[in-house]
Amino acid sequence: MKQVTLSAPRRQLSLPALSQRQWVGALLLALLLAFAWLVPLWHSADPARQQLVRILELPSLATPLGTDHLGRDLLARTAAAIRLSLGMALLSVVTAAVPGLLFGVIAGWRGGWLDRILGSVADACLALPGLLLVLLLVAIAPGNFWALYVGISLVLWIEYFRVVRARTRVLVTSPQLEASRLLGFGPLYLFRRHLWPELAPQVLTLAAFGAASAILAMAALGFVSVGLRPPTAELGLMMIELLPYYHEAPWAMAQPILALFILVFSLNLLAGKDPR
Amino acid sequence: MSHPLLQATDLTIQGDGVTIAPFSLNLGSGERLTLLGETGSGKSLIAQAIMGTLPRGLTTSGELLIDGTRYAAADVAARRTLWGRRLALLPQEPWHALDPTMRAAAQITESHRHVAGLARADARQATQHDLTELGLEDAGGKLPGELSGGMAQRVAFAAASAGGAPIVIADEPTKGLDAPRRDAVVELLARTPRAGGALLTITHDIDVARRLGGEVVILRQGQVVERGPAQQVLSDPQTEYGRRLLGAEPSRWPAPPPLTSAADATPVVTARGLAKSRGGRLLFQDLDVSVGPGEIVGVVGPSGCGKSTLGDMLLGLASCDAGEIEHAPGHRLGLQKLYQDPPAAFSSHWRLSRLLDDLVRRHDLERSAIAPLMERLGLDGRLLVRRPGEISGGELQRFAILRVLLLKPRLLFADEPTSRLDPITQQQTLSLLVELARERHCGVMLVSHDPALIARVCDRQLALGEATNVNGPAASARPLETASA
Amino acid sequence: MTSLTLSRAPSRWRSGLRGLLLQRLFQAGLVAWMVGTLTFVLTRTLPGDMAYRIAAGRYGHDMVDSAAAEAVRAELALDQPALGAYLGWLWDLLQLDLGRSLVSGEPVIHELWHQLGHSLGLAVMAVLLSLLIGPPLGLLAGRKPAGLLDRGSELAASVLRALPPFAVGLLLIMLFSVALGWLPAAGHGRFAHSVLPALTLALALAAVSSRVARNAMAEVSQSAYYAFSHTKGLGARLSFLRHGLRNAALPVVAYLGVQFVYLIEGVVVVETLFAWPGIGHALVHAIVARDVPMIQGTALVMGLMFVALNTVVDLICHWLDPRRREA
Repeated sequence: MKQVTLSAPRRQLSLPALSQRQWVGALLLALLLAFAWLVPLWHSADPARQQLVRILELPSLATPLGTDHLGRDLLARTAAAIRLSLGMALLSVVTAAVPGLLFGVIAGWRGGWLDRILGSVADACLALPGLLLVLLLVAIAPGNFWALYVGISLVLWIEYFRVVRARTRVLVTSPQLEASRLLGFGPLYLFRRHLWPELAPQVLTLAAFGAASAILAMAALGFVSVGLRPPTAELGLMMIELLPYYHEAPWAMAQPILALFILVFSLNLLAGKDPR
Repeated sequence: MSHPLLQATDLTIQGDGVTIAPFSLNLGSGERLTLLGETGSGKSLIAQAIMGTLPRGLTTSGELLIDGTRYAAADVAARRTLWGRRLALLPQEPWHALDPTMRAAAQITESHRHVAGLARADARQATQHDLTELGLEDAGGKLPGELSGGMAQRVAFAAASAGGAPIVIADEPTKGLDAPRRDAVVELLARTPRAGGALLTITHDIDVARRLGGEVVILRQGQVVERGPAQQVLSDPQTEYGRRLLGAEPSRWPAPPPLTSAADATPVVTARGLAKSRGGRLLFQDLDVSVGPGEIVGVVGPSGCGKSTLGDMLLGLASCDAGEIEHAPGHRLGLQKLYQDPPAAFSSHWRLSRLLDDLVRRHDLERSAIAPLMERLGLDGRLLVRRPGEISGGELQRFAILRVLLLKPRLLFADEPTSRLDPITQQQTLSLLVELARERHCGVMLVSHDPALIARVCDRQLALGEATNVNGPAASARPLETASA
Repeated sequence: MTSLTLSRAPSRWRSGLRGLLLQRLFQAGLVAWMVGTLTFVLTRTLPGDMAYRIAAGRYGHDMVDSAAAEAVRAELALDQPALGAYLGWLWDLLQLDLGRSLVSGEPVIHELWHQLGHSLGLAVMAVLLSLLIGPPLGLLAGRKPAGLLDRGSELAASVLRALPPFAVGLLLIMLFSVALGWLPAAGHGRFAHSVLPALTLALALAAVSSRVARNAMAEVSQSAYYAFSHTKGLGARLSFLRHGLRNAALPVVAYLGVQFVYLIEGVVVVETLFAWPGIGHALVHAIVARDVPMIQGTALVMGLMFVALNTVVDLICHWLDPRRREA
């Protein structure tokens, strides 16, 4: 029992305030973004151009990160692969977060049959482990970016839905919402002042974790050769392609692994605490 | 004077913005000492310093004599072996202090077996004996989640005292319990000194201190304000703070301003033949209620008897199984509510000025009405730049009253609005509420678990529970046990 | 103050054991339906010459003729109208008639039987290994939050969680097979072959379960009941054994259910990496070869394996937590 009678620590901003760890994650991610998008500006090598006379070269001035087994420029390929992974992650996170948030709030708020229907749909999507669902969709349209994207988003939205729904359900019956309702405020106000500030940090966390999962899933599919098709520069695909040469060219093999690691690591840091 | 069981000499606590001035006590066999104080007085810290369970960051110094052995207060590790055997601690919230996944009997048995050192069969028998003695015959096989607060307190008592410790420290043992259960706990505590032990009780409840008797110490911000025999300190305090603290007891409150509006004024709400059941249990039926303008109607009854539900029904927040509710004509924002836990009634993310501004803009209110009302409520304008969690509970509850009154309500349902507040703050808040309600002809339905408070503040009272409905003037309520001679 | 924290237990926990098993049974049915439907859609989206190509794959290019292609067409019911074919497809599934592999011509059930054994062996070994590493480490770390062990294991867990299982596997191969030469990199048959794949999966699982255990233990050791157990005189060891262990184990076991998602995903890539002849490997092969009956069979078995493992977790939770046995 302290001298002060204040309860619970307060936050200073209405936007989720980031912890130190989250700042490190954000910084790492920013650096990676800068790398991926700035490289093409001054290094104009085509990530798909093969030069069979210069395979598995060590890093040099012309090819700062060396070349792969087909003589392709690894700097250009790694940057392209990061762009692809991040773009895909961003796209599927947004696609998943919007309906997840929307349906979660509706289900948690309205309850009743609507809640049951949406809940059953989410449960159905969860019945199969995520990657299995993505694999089946990919099997229908092999090598197709959109199949991957739809599959991953289909798996990701449930997480938002469940977290948002559970939180909304608690908040809707809370005294703070009841009080504001008695004071004559409408649903939009209740969402803006009561729900969103509580949901935002969790949605951010889920978004970062979701992005990491999307990147990992795409790489995993590439690695087992059922994801995107060569010659696309994709992290998992690069790994499996370079795997036979890891003895001769360990630096080449290490690049996609390292890129993937930093990507996922920074996103995990940015996510902060696991809400589950 | 019997032989000393617990002696503390110059006990101090330091650190983390906390300072407890040197404190000494002497408790012999059969004696009782009660530390009385408000939130932040440091009363619990003294108990923790004696046990050796102070939170990290706090250091203690001084000397302790426990059952004939001397200890430096700072040497926490040495006292661990005394736990359960010489020193027993009754936890603050028994519900949380019991392992949620272990049945009640097992939690008592393990104390008998591992602390008192009984054989398995004997321990089981001793547990059965404890349960019977405490009137818990049926509770042994239950999990803590299935026990009531009072039952959990008795189970915790049995588990803590199975080791036969002569010194019992009870830290806020009546927190969150309603009046009858509180009395039962006091009865339970009184066993220790009767059996020749020593009892140290920490409480904010003056009534509990009075019933326990013995010596009373009034603490404020880490300082001893006053100490002496309970009868003397709690009936004729010598210090200004002591008088204020005692004056905050409901039975000593000044009478509220009289109800001025005509007795035949149209009630703001009238309900006839209300019935409600919850979870298959009938809460009440054939209940008639009415609240006149400016009238304060109290609702009392044991926990879970449907007090809050009744209020919510009158506000239209809960449905009723039978009966009809009729509101006096007026604008739709005329029904308002005050909540038990003020921070829970606000979104913690926005400044109070922003929340007030939202309200003014939503309903085109007069801005000029705010300042005088804030002054009446004793709210400093500088508080507005803070967020709900950054001001005290009492201030926030007054802010809640402010925002409700701005809408000129006809009926205000106040659901235990002061039960989380310290006594002095409670009195201030409630007297302001009554005053303003009278002035503005706003009917108030006030729920409280404290019958004395209801009897003092309300014009009429309604007792729920046991399917009997007394609906009459407060004067006919049962005699006030809390009134002092 | 705690009333606003998210309730962790899904509502299904509150229903009794019967309801729980019925839920899982329903989930199993859902899995079968989804796998069946998706693979049916797959048969309908195969390009026109697919039957020829599959037939060529099975009988060799020289042998393929319209009769062989017809056989494949019949196998996949490509010659029937969609709705009837769909119902027939599900009817076959209901009778566990999974058809024959388009590649090997063997009954799918046969192949699955062998593969399931291998995958289950790997999965069980990985889970046991992860339970041996993760929770004990977490419990130790949780007893001293912010201590050296806590910090160290947190860092290790963060690194492992950022590495996909195939990257962990690659690193393990490089270390134990290439650099040290202690263990075979790939293959199947001897016990030594299973060490690296199992360890790969176990590390990923342990990275999460150690943190779950750590948080659970930290929460328990800050709880009022844990403090009360100490002050009533039980002492550190008995308090840990009687009140710490069970309460900390609950979230760890409950979280295993979530972890099985990772396990199933891990099985797919790890089996492929280590050439382990299990279900995951077979599924990937079937997708590459567009062997529809095999895709259906393997996906079905993996989905059901997921449900079965979760049912086991449900049962353990039910047994551990008396609160769930009430009502």
